[in-house]
Amino acid sequence: MRKYLTLFIMSWQKQLEVRSDFIFERGRSLAVLFSLYYLWSSLLTNRADVAGYSRSEMLTYVVMMTLLRAWVLSNVTDRIPSEIAQGKLSDLLLRPISHFGYWATQDAASKSLAIGSVCIEMSLFVFFIRPPLLPPTSVAAAGAFAFSTLLAMAMYFQMSYMLGVIGFWTAQSWGPRFCFEVFLEFSAGAYFPVDLLPGAAQKVLAWLPFPYLVFHPLSIYLGKAGPDQWLSILGHQVMWIGVLTLASRGLWGAGLRRYAAEGG
Amino acid sequence: MPAIEAVNLAKTYVVSQRGEGFAGSLKGLFTRETRNVEAVKSVSFSVEPGELVAFLGPNGAGKTTTLKMLSGLLYPTGGTLKVLGHVPFEKKQDYLRRFSFVMGQKHQLWWELPALDTFRLNAAIFDLDAKRYRRRLDELNELLQLDPLWNTPVKKLSLGQRMKMELACALLHEPELLLLDEPTIGLDVVMQKTLRDFVTRLNREKKTTILLTSHNMEDIETLCRRVIVVHHGIILFDGDLPDLVARFVPAKQVTAVLKEERPRKDIERFGAVQEYNGLRAAWEVPRGDISSRVSDILNQLPVADLTVEEMPLEDVIRRIFKEGAV
Repeated sequence: MRKYLTLFIMSWQKQLEVRSDFIFERGRSLAVLFSLYYLWSSLLTNRADVAGYSRSEMLTYVVMMTLLRAWVLSNVTDRIPSEIAQGKLSDLLLRPISHFGYWATQDAASKSLAIGSVCIEMSLFVFFIRPPLLPPTSVAAAGAFAFSTLLAMAMYFQMSYMLGVIGFWTAQSWGPRFCFEVFLEFSAGAYFPVDLLPGAAQKVLAWLPFPYLVFHPLSIYLGKAGPDQWLSILGHQVMWIGVLTLASRGLWGAGLRRYAAEGG
Repeated sequence: MPAIEAVNLAKTYVVSQRGEGFAGSLKGLFTRETRNVEAVKSVSFSVEPGELVAFLGPNGAGKTTTLKMLSGLLYPTGGTLKVLGHVPFEKKQDYLRRFSFVMGQKHQLWWELPALDTFRLNAAIFDLDAKRYRRRLDELNELLQLDPLWNTPVKKLSLGQRMKMELACALLHEPELLLLDEPTIGLDVVMQKTLRDFVTRLNREKKTTILLTSHNMEDIETLCRRVIVVHHGIILFDGDLPDLVARFVPAKQVTAVLKEERPRKDIERFGAVQEYNGLRAAWEVPRGDISSRVSDILNQLPVADLTVEEMPLEDVIRRIFKEGAV
């Protein structure tokens, strides 16, 4: 455990040294928040609701979605493919530390900074803009939302780790990752609730893991998913974590056999 | 039990091919041909604990690939390999704790942070308690004079300073086996000597088993008695350095400094001239003819000084690989 704690602290140190990445990421997050907040705010000014979402519900969704973007949809595993391509992975493979654990720790360190930052940003946003925020529908809903968010974090990490490991097969991983992330944010509900989409699209998405990252946890929070649906949502998240874990482990094992440890 | 035992070790890479120019790149989007490259064809050797062995060979001979298989980084496509009783590719914790691999062009130190932070991380990764960590820092500091460098961000260190830090960091956990790939590459002569002295002490005092590759012949001559010569993925020679020279170069170098200048035709009478500048001449003389040829030179030329030496190792190696002596 000591090695992961030391790594966690060093990852923080490194991020504080390389401030520009962090600042730009926070800027992007605020830009998304302001644009979506004012878009929905004006769309719902003279309307009672959109597809069952009242103005308060939609604006709460947007604000909470910004929090989940920082908590769930942030990761550092996009560095894995370049480390594989340049042979930097070798340094890690030569030491008695799990690769998965190494990146999970770096991810946790990055997330913890992002979470701290987004909480400050949100407090200022709420203080100055005074959005009509709704609390969770019950204490139990708050608990289920928190648990579902934790599972979503684990799910997204497994997903992005798996995508990083694809670097064993292709050095040009930026393109696939960019396309994947655009599709993911759209289908996760990181721009708007996915139940605004046509029925056919919703049916397709129901077979994919993405809505379980943002949309379903927020459905629990807003009471759109009742207690009778919580178990199904949490069960699906656990199932997806299992599937993604098996897939990323399988890819990792196969990738290691292909690894050429180039550049040295 | 040998520290390293490799039997018919082989590694074939699958390399994708791409056509030239834009058309080639465009075609590569749809079809990509591959070809197999045998980096190591069949290599068998064993190394006893405490040995210091050099891997020699031209670029692309398979030296680094062999070291990478020994370290477990690469999956061998043939043969069997045991290092410190383990199959390296399995990457068992016990194995990873007992060896270290230093690549001259790679670094494990965190670029943005002071080197001491990476040392602290490695101490945690290798489970060194505080007392042992402190002792190792003191030992490494004494050997490599690292004191002024601990708190400087790695990116601010010179290449030589960084290499010292890399080596120290790789040795923090006192590995039984050290693999060194081009450890002196890019270093100035002072740093090269510091590193060589350090490696010698490590091998002599700690009995660390060391395998190294280097294109720097001074590294090989100073450090290693045993050499393994690799070419085109197979072993051409495995034995003591003097035997390598005797086997592949059936001649020695006789050098004479003359009291007065002599024309080149007078010099050429005594054998194949390697060097001549009027007052100094060097010949390549077959080993069996040394005494008679030296006697002739001393009798027929105004010699001020004369030496008989093995051919420079660099020439030997060049000859082995270029002139097809093997």
